[in-house]
Amino acid sequence: MTGRLPARTVLLAALMLSALAPLGLLLVASLGRGWFFPALFPPSVTLESWGDAFRGGRMAVALWTSLGLAVCTGLAGAAVGWPVGRALADLRGWPRHLGAAAAFLPVAVPPVALATGLQISALAVGVAGTPGGVFLSHLIPAAGYAALYFLGVFTLFDRRIEDEARTLGARPRTVLWRVTLPMMRREVGQAFLLGFLVSWAQVATTLVIGGGRVRTLPLEVFAYLQAGQDRYAATGALLLVIPALLMLGAVQFAVERAEATPL
Amino acid sequence: MNAPALEIAGLSVPFGDAPGLRDIGFALDPGERLVLLGPSGAGKTTLLRAIAGLAPTAAGQLRIGGRDVTDRPAEARDAVYLHQTPLLFPHLSVFENVAFPLRIRGCLQVEIQAACAELLESVRLEGLADRRPHTLSGGQKHRAALARAMAARPAVLLLDEPLTALDPSLREEVRATLLSLQARYRPALVIATHDLEDAAVLGERIGILLGGTLAQVDRPERLFQRPASLAVALFLGVPNLVSGSVADGEFRSPLGPIPAGPESLGGPATAAFGADALRPDPCGSLRGVVRSVRYGPRGATLRVDVSGLDLDATAGGGAMPETGDELRLGLERDRITILHGTTRDV
Repeated sequence: MTGRLPARTVLLAALMLSALAPLGLLLVASLGRGWFFPALFPPSVTLESWGDAFRGGRMAVALWTSLGLAVCTGLAGAAVGWPVGRALADLRGWPRHLGAAAAFLPVAVPPVALATGLQISALAVGVAGTPGGVFLSHLIPAAGYAALYFLGVFTLFDRRIEDEARTLGARPRTVLWRVTLPMMRREVGQAFLLGFLVSWAQVATTLVIGGGRVRTLPLEVFAYLQAGQDRYAATGALLLVIPALLMLGAVQFAVERAEATPL
Repeated sequence: MNAPALEIAGLSVPFGDAPGLRDIGFALDPGERLVLLGPSGAGKTTLLRAIAGLAPTAAGQLRIGGRDVTDRPAEARDAVYLHQTPLLFPHLSVFENVAFPLRIRGCLQVEIQAACAELLESVRLEGLADRRPHTLSGGQKHRAALARAMAARPAVLLLDEPLTALDPSLREEVRATLLSLQARYRPALVIATHDLEDAAVLGERIGILLGGTLAQVDRPERLFQRPASLAVALFLGVPNLVSGSVADGEFRSPLGPIPAGPESLGGPATAAFGADALRPDPCGSLRGVVRSVRYGPRGATLRVDVSGLDLDATAGGGAMPETGDELRLGLERDRITILHGTTRDV
């Protein structure tokens, strides 16, 4: 028993280090000026790249574009995934498997293949190279994830509680707004987060459907890396991590707060 | 004159691909209690769900409070359905659960406060109004669910096996709460159960669901003493079923001739009677040998061999017979029901 505790502590410390060390390295890289191998620390620091991110530079535009797309994708993904997942949960046998496979397909195929397929449709509809087109290309895998998530949720959901609400006099819409949705706000929050993160990390579909005209943060990070601007790339990479973590915390906080407050 | 709270005529309810329920019919006055009794799978829940508007019907008519609700949705029927396990809304406090039917009807806050306070007091939950359902005990959850159901002021309250999963003390608590709420708010109650004792205690009338139809609807005392068919007698567990035949208005068996009534058809028949119709009597016409003595909460029951028939008899108030004793037994013939057919036919 005495041998177990230190081993566990060491493992936990290693896990924390593996999670935090890259972030620390990125932070130093985003601030360091003229920092080259084999120097252990940068000779001087600058806030230049951070200034670009917060003073309306290229990175700031990309950041807001990414945030807008991710929030819209999260909301729309949850809104589409809810009814699709519920409908799939109502099915039995092969129609259910077929539906689940259809929802899983955009999630399973490589993003480049998906993007190439979507580009043909986007060109035909005339949304290629627009934020709307990029949003739709993000929505397809996000809705697939959300549908699969809600399939699991509704498979376990006890619908008798909705039946009882209806016999108490609640119309189906009232049941949805006053019973089902409030009961599932944690799941809805998590589905939103799932869609947000799917969009936030998209590169291939943004590049192909956006055609370089819709610049999101991941694309800017790639561009900075290719141009050898490591300080800007590190700043962009950190900006990719921080909002995702903040959104995760915000959704968790909102859900817990809502659960503690009667409607 | 008030319309019946619930009237059902010729109702058929499909159950998947199976034939389901057919030709169901009964009426309930406001404040009356009907228990639907039947074995598992008889269709009790299906019938309750059909009355509530939660299961489709194939034929027939349903009227609640005089209104035809056959084609109306569940929310417009004035019939509240409660499941076996209380399904309180987990995101709402006890108060808000009880207030739910009032809020969705757009009642004023002051009315909601008054109605909920009265209901919570009547189910002894006034001190737990702010609690969430998951913090309540089993009995408290049942009481809260009943209070919420009563807040809707339904014409009909449908209860699916309300006491089945409860331990004896909780059963009594929930039963008492149910009866006191019903006495106060006067909804008609339809209660599904497979428990004979619950049926006898809760039911002013009992409906037996067998073979997809209502085999008999009667007052408990009449139901247990005068089952309408051999299938009902078997389901109720009538202990003494003696096969014989009817001829010339008389039932003939080893028990001797018994008047079968003018409406009895001739042919194979069965005499059904409870243990309380047969008891030791020094002047009785039957002779028997005691095979065993069983003691229960309502006294002792004798298993006696009468002319090769194993029958249950009530021990009576005299000296307790012992196994192997020879007895004379008296049979109250007016408590015997002669039923068409024999147990082999059922």
